[in-house]
Amino acid sequence: MPTKKLAKDDPYFIDFPKRIKSIQKEMAANGIDIYLGSRLRTLSWTLDAFCPWRSFIVIPPEGLPTVITFVIDAARVADESWLDQDHILGYGPMGGQDQVSLLSMLIKPYLKGGKGIIGMETGMGNYLPEGHLTLFEFVMLKAVMPKATFKNAHDIVDKLALIKDQGTINRFREASRIVDIGHKAVYDSIKKGGYKTMTETEIAGLAAYAMRKAGSEWEWSFTGGNEIASGYRTGLAAGACTPASRRKLKLGEPLMVDLHAMFRLGLGDHSHNYFLGKATKRQLWHAQNFVDLMHRCLKSYKAGISPTKLADDMLGFAEERGFQDYLVPGFEHGIGMMGDEWRIGLNDGPFDYWTNPEHEYKKDEMLICAVQYACPEENIGFRYENPILIMEKGCEAMSKFPLSVDVV
Amino acid sequence: MPEKKIKYLSKEWADEVTRRCKKELTPEKMKHITSSMLTINTNCPGSKTKAVYYTLKNGVVESVSIVEAPLPKAEFSITAEYDMFAKISKAEVKARSALMSGKMVLKGNLVKALTLSPTVDRLNEVIAKIPTEF
Repeated sequence: MPTKKLAKDDPYFIDFPKRIKSIQKEMAANGIDIYLGSRLRTLSWTLDAFCPWRSFIVIPPEGLPTVITFVIDAARVADESWLDQDHILGYGPMGGQDQVSLLSMLIKPYLKGGKGIIGMETGMGNYLPEGHLTLFEFVMLKAVMPKATFKNAHDIVDKLALIKDQGTINRFREASRIVDIGHKAVYDSIKKGGYKTMTETEIAGLAAYAMRKAGSEWEWSFTGGNEIASGYRTGLAAGACTPASRRKLKLGEPLMVDLHAMFRLGLGDHSHNYFLGKATKRQLWHAQNFVDLMHRCLKSYKAGISPTKLADDMLGFAEERGFQDYLVPGFEHGIGMMGDEWRIGLNDGPFDYWTNPEHEYKKDEMLICAVQYACPEENIGFRYENPILIMEKGCEAMSKFPLSVDVV
Repeated sequence: MPEKKIKYLSKEWADEVTRRCKKELTPEKMKHITSSMLTINTNCPGSKTKAVYYTLKNGVVESVSIVEAPLPKAEFSITAEYDMFAKISKAEVKARSALMSGKMVLKGNLVKALTLSPTVDRLNEVIAKIPTEF
């Protein structure tokens, strides 16, 4: 159901017109005449609709924005967004209807004498569907608006999207509840030897089916949906990306199940780990390291802590216990509505477009607590992921599936 | 005896378009749409720009008129050279290919335009039957 039909007291209600007004206020403060958004995260945050095709939002200094998306999807986006169909236009390969013609038609009225500042979204990312303005798009737009100045302005949206409102938080909670249903379905299927005829792709599929039945819109991760790894694949060196393969599950091997669900652009992302049938003492030693580390990690997240402070503590603990060689030294990635993934906080760190390790978390920020334990020489590894909400004195881990490594 | 040809973009031509549309296009055929459309002919003989302004209400073609600058506002406008419109009218070029090649420019909501294109095709079929002198 589109958000435009949600009542203000609905737990998933988000005040999107207010978001637009807050962008417009920042545009005025930054001398930006018109904002051209192209990133997936910006589209989700402003539109309340999933835009899988290249799309743009043009935000004027006041009034409603207009979106252009591929014509085959414009009616669906309009159906789901709070904006009406007059503000969601389709583009296509026709005279006057291509991306550049439509964008210049929407932007030019706000450039006095052709001059003015256009806020754009450019940069660099390790997340492929980020959606920065491409060089070609920039060159074409500059050619039709030669007197305009283009200014990178994505910080406006990034700052505003950093602290999550109640509707967003509730959407993440619901997505996480759905992910837990997926985990239960996996557990029920693999327990008591049920895993014996299964492959990784089958695990991914049965989890997806359970989550879709519970209302998930898709297994949102660009890393192949539900990530499943078994055997040596759980312990790939420094590895934390395992799209499910056709590998058969085998007795005595580890199994990592990393599920993703989406609810109204809120994202569930939780991993659980198993041993299939039996486990050796050495395997259980690794598992205990991992579980203890995760308990410690989840106790550490709170307002005021930074990625570097947390990493120092976790790596110190790993060294004390003798498993530092197996720990990938990163403990989180950023998260927001669909398309906002990876970088924590703002683009203000020592390496452009990477997390600033000194970023201090604030109340109501969200992140994915993400830890990878990998021991390639023993073909064993575990992953933890869970959306967490930063609170004053702790954090809320949204997926409630019990933290353990189970022998099934 | 050959049928008398009517000069394209003349008042007589516009009146004939209106008359035939009202007679041949039922509101059902026109899907009860209410809209307005300009077909803007650039580089007309004499280097002028002339446009045909169509208004439809509840599926009835209310009026067809020839207008020059300042052009009235319309939900859709289609701009092309006079020669291109002439070729389309003589079925030498399809409107779709003119649009896809960029030789014709559409302004207005593309999603709505695509929805309305079968009804516009019906309108064009009526216009194409008018003996016209270009």
